Amino acid sequence: MYRARLERDFKHWIDKGLLQDNAARAMLAEYDGRESTFRAGRVLLILAALLLSASILLLVAANWEALPRLARVAGIVALIWGFHFAAGWLLRAGRAAFAAAALVLGAAAFGGGIALIGQMYHLSGDAADAALLWFVGASLSAFAFRSAAMATAAGGLAWFYFGTMLTEGAFPTISDWHLWSVPVLAVIVVLLVRFTEAGRARHLAYLLVLSWLAWLYLDSPSLAFAAGLAVLGLAAFLVATLPGSPVRQLALDAGSAPAFYSFALALLGFTGLQYEAVGLTTEIAAGAGTLLVALLGIALAGAQNGAVRYLGYVAFAGELLYLAFETLGSMLGTSGFFLISGLVVACIAWLVIRIEGHMARTRQAEVSR
Amino acid sequence: MISGTSNKRWLNPLLAALLVAGVQTAALGYMIESRASILRSGRDVLLKTVPVDPRDLLRGDYVILSYDISRLQPDLLKGALPTQSGEAVLYVRLERQPDGFWTATEASFQPLPPVGDSVVLRSLPFSYYPSSPPSAVNVDYGIERFYVPEGEGRTLEEARNAEALSVNIRVDGKGSAQIREIAVNGSPVYEEPLY
Repeated sequence: MYRARLERDFKHWIDKGLLQDNAARAMLAEYDGRESTFRAGRVLLILAALLLSASILLLVAANWEALPRLARVAGIVALIWGFHFAAGWLLRAGRAAFAAAALVLGAAAFGGGIALIGQMYHLSGDAADAALLWFVGASLSAFAFRSAAMATAAGGLAWFYFGTMLTEGAFPTISDWHLWSVPVLAVIVVLLVRFTEAGRARHLAYLLVLSWLAWLYLDSPSLAFAAGLAVLGLAAFLVATLPGSPVRQLALDAGSAPAFYSFALALLGFTGLQYEAVGLTTEIAAGAGTLLVALLGIALAGAQNGAVRYLGYVAFAGELLYLAFETLGSMLGTSGFFLISGLVVACIAWLVIRIEGHMARTRQAEVSR
Repeated sequence: MISGTSNKRWLNPLLAALLVAGVQTAALGYMIESRASILRSGRDVLLKTVPVDPRDLLRGDYVILSYDISRLQPDLLKGALPTQSGEAVLYVRLERQPDGFWTATEASFQPLPPVGDSVVLRSLPFSYYPSSPPSAVNVDYGIERFYVPEGEGRTLEEARNAEALSVNIRVDGKGSAQIREIAVNGSPVYEEPLY
């Protein structure tokens, strides 16, 4: 993990005389003292909570016939109150990790309650509505307790909601409030993540929006929609990364996410455009566009943003291979397949080595200046 | 990943527990009560079931119920039809037949006024695609699922496919329905209590 790598690098720098021994120790102590630092015990605790929640849900699914209906409802309500008050009490006692585990269990009990009641009372409402209700309950818990663990759980439930809609087929081909509710859920998750300082959980929301857009495109592919995604992504990426842009500093402060996700959106749009292209000329035009965007991404944000750089490489390589097979592939046989792959990969390797070398030199120049 | 220092708390944790558990309990209570109120005050309607396409016979532990009113023939559709495809709701007027079963006598995309002894049932929202001439419409009413203890589903399905299954529902003033009783060959096998 990061802690072990940090310690190893510090040792390396101390040996080289770049870093004072006591400074390194102070930095490690500061890192260990952070509230949000990864701790094996805490993660195991949350895992235990998840396993216990699974047992609650399975108990419900197993159709508990032995108890009368109202007793079952009373049982699940007692679990909800028990877990939430246990969490409240643990927070007052300063046991934040146990409190987070209790909150996850409480949310699981609520989800179990929704499923149990739907089943016992033969409610035919669709699964997406039930998932949405569960998400709302979990979000309220994240907000009221200001719990990062629950914000993460809400992010997971937003995905669950999207997943149920896809598998249950409740997503109609025509517009419906369900269809537009997915980005609303993503916004709620982002707000909760900011409020609870849940950090990395925000990627759940960003990825949800990207997948949703990809799904929307797959559901009704059209040139205009693909072009819209490409333009929107490209515009957002340029605004976030172009030197001189007023929002650039803001985007940089927010970490690598703004540049990466806008770049991914632009590439998604260009993939759509490639899919829409018919005939050699448009195929090549769309392909050239994709290659340019990949290079633009590497050039503008690749130096500070490893995620953008690697996505750029992958897109560039994928597009080049695709174009090679579309144009030359039909003329050559199986041996040609390997020939083209070999040549393309060699070209990309050369390109990557040049770019990485250039970036390393730029960084060194900046330091020595 | 996990944080909870006291300085970033904005609500007393016990108050937060009260709020969250209270709202979640209220949501579950609402689910139960909205069904119970239909059963308590709704009007009795007896429906005939029809066989279901065998490929989705048993889903988990519930039996899928389909009724003769689940498929509405185009001649039943009264009033203006939607001209564009989109989400729609159908209002279906049911009337009692001499054999005791109720059947659809008209359906409309606009609310139907109460007339005489008839009952108006409202469908769940569905995707409607206009066609000319209008084709039959398949709708759900929220009474298509009946959960049974493990292993008991088969008997009900066989009865349903032999057209021996009848379902007694209650319909409230807004057109929402809930299952009250399921009978095989006229004798009740499942009677639903309010709670």
